[in-house]
Amino acid sequence: MEDYETATSGASETYPQQCSSLRKNGYVMLKGNPCKIVEMSTSKTGKHGHAKVHLVGLDIFTGKKLEDICPSTHNMDVPNVTRKDYQVQLYDGFLSLMDDSGATKEDLRLPDNEVGTEIGKKFDNGESFLVTVLKAVGQEAVVATKNYN
Amino acid sequence: MARHRRGTMMAAVGAPEVIAQLESAAKVLMAPPSMVSSEQRQHAEHIFLAFRKSKSPFAVCKQILESSKVDYVLFQAATAIMEAVVREWILLEKSSIESLRTFLLTYVLQRPNLQKYVREQILLAVAVIVKRGSLDKSISCKSLLHEVGQLISSGNPTAQTLACSILMALLSEFSSSSKTSSIGLSMEFHGSCKRLFQEDALRHIFVMTMEVLQEFSRRENLSAHMCSVFQRYLALANQVLSWNFLPPNLGRHYIAMFEATQNVTLKPSESWREALLDTRIMDLFFAVHKKVREDSDMAQESLQCLAQLASMHGPIFPNESAQVSYLAHMVEGLLGMINGMEMEDSEAMGIANIMSNLISMFPRSTLTALPPDLFTSFINCLTVLTCSFGRSAALEETMDKDDIVYMEAYERLLDSWLTLVRDEQHFPRSCLDQPAVQVFNVYIQCHLAAPDGTRNMSANGVASHDEEEINELQEDDRELFSGQLCSIGMMGRVAADHCIPLLTSLLEERVTRLHGQLQRTQQHLMASSDLGTVDRKVLDDLYEDIHWLILVSGYVLADDPQGETPLIPSEVMDFSIKHATEVDINTTLQILGSPGEKASSIPGFNRTDCVIRLLSAVLRTSEVESRATRASLTEMLSPQMGKDIVWFLRRWTKSYLLLDEKLYKQISIPLSTAFGADTEGSRWIVGYLLEKVISNLSVWSSESELATDTVELLVTLVERRERANLVVQCEGWWRLAKQFASRSPPLHLLSSSVQRSLMKALVLGGFANMDSDTKQQYWAEVLHPLQQRFHNLINQENFAQMSQEEAVKQEIIATLEALCGIAEATQIDNVASLFSFLMDFLSSCIGLMEVYSNTPETVNLIIEVFVEVAHKQICYLGETKSMRLYEACLTLLQVYSKNNQSRKRGDSTAEEDQYQDLLLIMELLTNLLSKEFIDFSDTDEVFRTQDPGASAGRSVSAADVVLYGVNIVLPLMSQDLLKFPSLCNQYYKLITFICEIFPEKIPQLPEELFKSLMFSLELGMTSMSSEISQLCLEALSPLAEHCAKSPDKDTPLYHATQHFLKLVFDMLLLQKHNTEMTVAAGEAFYSLVCLHQVEYNELVQTLLSTQRDAVIYQRLADAFRQLTASSSPPTMDRKQKLAFLKSLEEFVANVGGLLCVK
Repeated sequence: MEDYETATSGASETYPQQCSSLRKNGYVMLKGNPCKIVEMSTSKTGKHGHAKVHLVGLDIFTGKKLEDICPSTHNMDVPNVTRKDYQVQLYDGFLSLMDDSGATKEDLRLPDNEVGTEIGKKFDNGESFLVTVLKAVGQEAVVATKNYN
Repeated sequence: MARHRRGTMMAAVGAPEVIAQLESAAKVLMAPPSMVSSEQRQHAEHIFLAFRKSKSPFAVCKQILESSKVDYVLFQAATAIMEAVVREWILLEKSSIESLRTFLLTYVLQRPNLQKYVREQILLAVAVIVKRGSLDKSISCKSLLHEVGQLISSGNPTAQTLACSILMALLSEFSSSSKTSSIGLSMEFHGSCKRLFQEDALRHIFVMTMEVLQEFSRRENLSAHMCSVFQRYLALANQVLSWNFLPPNLGRHYIAMFEATQNVTLKPSESWREALLDTRIMDLFFAVHKKVREDSDMAQESLQCLAQLASMHGPIFPNESAQVSYLAHMVEGLLGMINGMEMEDSEAMGIANIMSNLISMFPRSTLTALPPDLFTSFINCLTVLTCSFGRSAALEETMDKDDIVYMEAYERLLDSWLTLVRDEQHFPRSCLDQPAVQVFNVYIQCHLAAPDGTRNMSANGVASHDEEEINELQEDDRELFSGQLCSIGMMGRVAADHCIPLLTSLLEERVTRLHGQLQRTQQHLMASSDLGTVDRKVLDDLYEDIHWLILVSGYVLADDPQGETPLIPSEVMDFSIKHATEVDINTTLQILGSPGEKASSIPGFNRTDCVIRLLSAVLRTSEVESRATRASLTEMLSPQMGKDIVWFLRRWTKSYLLLDEKLYKQISIPLSTAFGADTEGSRWIVGYLLEKVISNLSVWSSESELATDTVELLVTLVERRERANLVVQCEGWWRLAKQFASRSPPLHLLSSSVQRSLMKALVLGGFANMDSDTKQQYWAEVLHPLQQRFHNLINQENFAQMSQEEAVKQEIIATLEALCGIAEATQIDNVASLFSFLMDFLSSCIGLMEVYSNTPETVNLIIEVFVEVAHKQICYLGETKSMRLYEACLTLLQVYSKNNQSRKRGDSTAEEDQYQDLLLIMELLTNLLSKEFIDFSDTDEVFRTQDPGASAGRSVSAADVVLYGVNIVLPLMSQDLLKFPSLCNQYYKLITFICEIFPEKIPQLPEELFKSLMFSLELGMTSMSSEISQLCLEALSPLAEHCAKSPDKDTPLYHATQHFLKLVFDMLLLQKHNTEMTVAAGEAFYSLVCLHQVEYNELVQTLLSTQRDAVIYQRLADAFRQLTASSSPPTMDRKQKLAFLKSLEEFVANVGGLLCVK
């Protein structure tokens, strides 16, 4: 969070891609938000017009539905979306996470949703488990838990 | 006696209370929604429901009818009578039924001011009584018709209207079983009632109706009231003439199918000769139409009557000459009518129907047997009408009318032309030449812009032009208007001498203009460089002209038959042969080979083959397009025109390129010289098409439809070996392959589906004839880089760490996409090598599942690869290979399951992702199961042997994989997910398959799984769509049969089937159900009864014991006895089963009504 400025200015967080080659299930920035594409359709103005792409996406962090339409030759920004699994070390409102190289990370809050509840439960039961952290355009969130196997 | 007393008592004691209760309930139902609560409403509905189900409600109903003033209550009383009569028919005395009928009719007669819906319901009750009575001949139509006849002859319009309503009610009650299934009688019953009715009563009704029409048509000034009576009888006449005459001896299954036909044609039996062959009948309808044509509603009825008469066929004609003279009279009447009037818009469709019926229903020999003058006049009239409807249809389109009467009428006539032209045997094509020219010309004219055409021109000659938003769901014109284009294409072939040169010159001229216009645009842009200042109107007009000219040319020159070898149409071949002597082949080839030059600039251009010249014109269009893209004018071009060009070229390629001389009686020298095997021309054109494809794929990557059409052309070029052999000799092909393998722009900008098809084409091309070095080199360029790069990537030590890097993810996705494309290229002769190639990847993909276990989009795509491989290959695989694929799929499912078991996701797309995974997994399982139905594997091995010893040696069977998969899917199938219709269908299809194919595996399932499977079946049977309910019922028989084979009776499956017996018993006997389901339910029922005879008898006894009425008890007990009489003790024997099913149908018809009563 303290890195917000530097994080968003990083050039590698998104890359341009021709609108027509985006794919359903892929990602795209819609109105500045990283989204998963759930619907893609085309239209044109007049029979001899050029294609426009209509995109419907879900914000990968908030679930909000967003839409956009643009000429199919245009480039759209695609966010680099990564997922990483961590072990959970400590827990006190904030999570203490450790990846498999031993590096730790302590800037993520316990999410206020079912996953958060699940983490609390697992801690209380003393289970050992992993969490998946989703990261895109400087935002991060714990999105899943998974038992060791 | 007991029954009568109770009935009377109820009326005496309870009638006023009953009436009061019903009236207050009616008040609740009629009240505005805001005034009553939904509980009150439900309660009121319940009161009526209970009332209609009450036993012997006749006396109460009579009292209600006589005393109540509330229309809704009257309506309900009529309904109650109707339902109770059918329900209790066998218990009622015939005399009381007869008096009931008389009461109802008198009741209506005496109350002319009844609400319409009450009156119609009472008449419906009368009709139902008459129909039910016709079965045991206790009631005859005759006396009723006699009464109706008296009403008609009274001359009183009110009485006549009532008479008409009675006849209408009879007609609709007898006409179709679907309308009357609510009285719960068998198809056979409906069928025999209908046959009796159509031979006698219906004809009687027709004669009465004709008398009324005759009477009215003679009168001069009709009052408004009389006019409305007239209209009713006209509608009645139409109903009679549209009667779907049931042929004798049509089995029960066919009756439903037969009655589902939409456009009923008139096919009366011999007994109707006197009534219908009388020319005065036809004259009467022409006269009636003349009288009513100002009134568009009545005009439609009268034209429909004429159209039905025009469709008359069958045994009614004693011989051919009777048919000819009937037709001649009809045509004369029709021509007289059309020529003597100015047509109203509302008449167009009706007249088109008459024409079309005459042409499609009368044999050609009858048409040609008409006096020659009459025949010529008929064809001329058809031509004039077609042209005029075509112009009016174009006007309708320009004005964007909602009502497209002329378009429909036009299409109907175009279809008729197709019917006429297709039959060469009976009349010489030459007599259709001129009409074809005219119809063709008008079509072209309507689709071209001014000055040559009239497109977008409204009636006052002003052209309109607006740009509407078109979405991808809207079909392309080539599909939207395929019917029209097919007919016009055929007309173009009939008049090839005129049409092919016309198309060529129109197209060539426009291409020249397009070229000029684009050049001017370029100069304009050089000066201002602002695209916004370019006037697109001229360009768009040219594009639209070219669009239609190419579509029509495509339909004239070639067909696109599904599943057959496309041939050059014989008319086109003959046309080319006919002119071959005037043609200079070298000039023709020169014109073909120089698409960059104006055709008219080549010396001797008039002595070219016209068929080749038309193709050349399209190639010229293509060339202008390609040059414009090279001059950076892509934005000025029309992607639609681009699509048209590649669509045409693909259609053309299938029939003409490398034409096989053995398939033709006679061959045109110019065509075989230009496009035959081993010719310079065919080599040249393959190269040209390939370059076009390559250019389109890079220029038009952003236009996915155009890219799709383009890649389809490429697939067409390589999917046949002989064409592929030429393609792989082109340098461009190798360039394309390398470029695609390098995954660099511009090809990687294409949408994923286009990339898959491109991969498919490249793989198909690899199976063309090449020497072995070349072949090796080819695969080294195309497939090996894919393998190489993939292996290098995943074998890196730190692959897991890098796996989330964008570049790595993209490489992985591109590889998985390519694998789907490779699987799509599977054909029977390449499956062996493609299978081993893909299998290597499938094992690696499982490793990927681990690495990307937290990345849903990748997991999804990996499963899709397995789905595609199974879908395209399983049917060709022998046992060993199948086994390897099963094993791979099993491992995939295991890994998927392990990774998802303890995973809890909370992100926003979790449900969407899971839905997609499950859908794919079920698709995969269904694909694996499909091996059971479709198996083309070369070895003749039996995939699933009955001998358990043989399968013991195998590691994995399809059943294992599928059941394991179900194991994963079942716990995840929440009721929420079942709300996705596609998922729900796929799921039930899968579990039904499993029960049918591997019933023996079901008892071996783990307890939890078994329970949820049984629960799914119950849920599907009882609370899903009827389609799914039917699937579940189909799953029950094999389960029951399997149980019967096993000696152990204390198994969960055995107990589960007991439960299903009760469910199916209730469903079949106690609940109203869809008649389509009776067969599936009946079969399941029988198997379950065989298995659980004791429980079945208990169910029957319990049911009987609730029956207090001795008469009903006896009827039911008898019916149950008869039900199993032919199969006792019931065994799983096919013959017995069929006998049982037949008895079941009778059972439901006879006592089904009694059982539904509470």
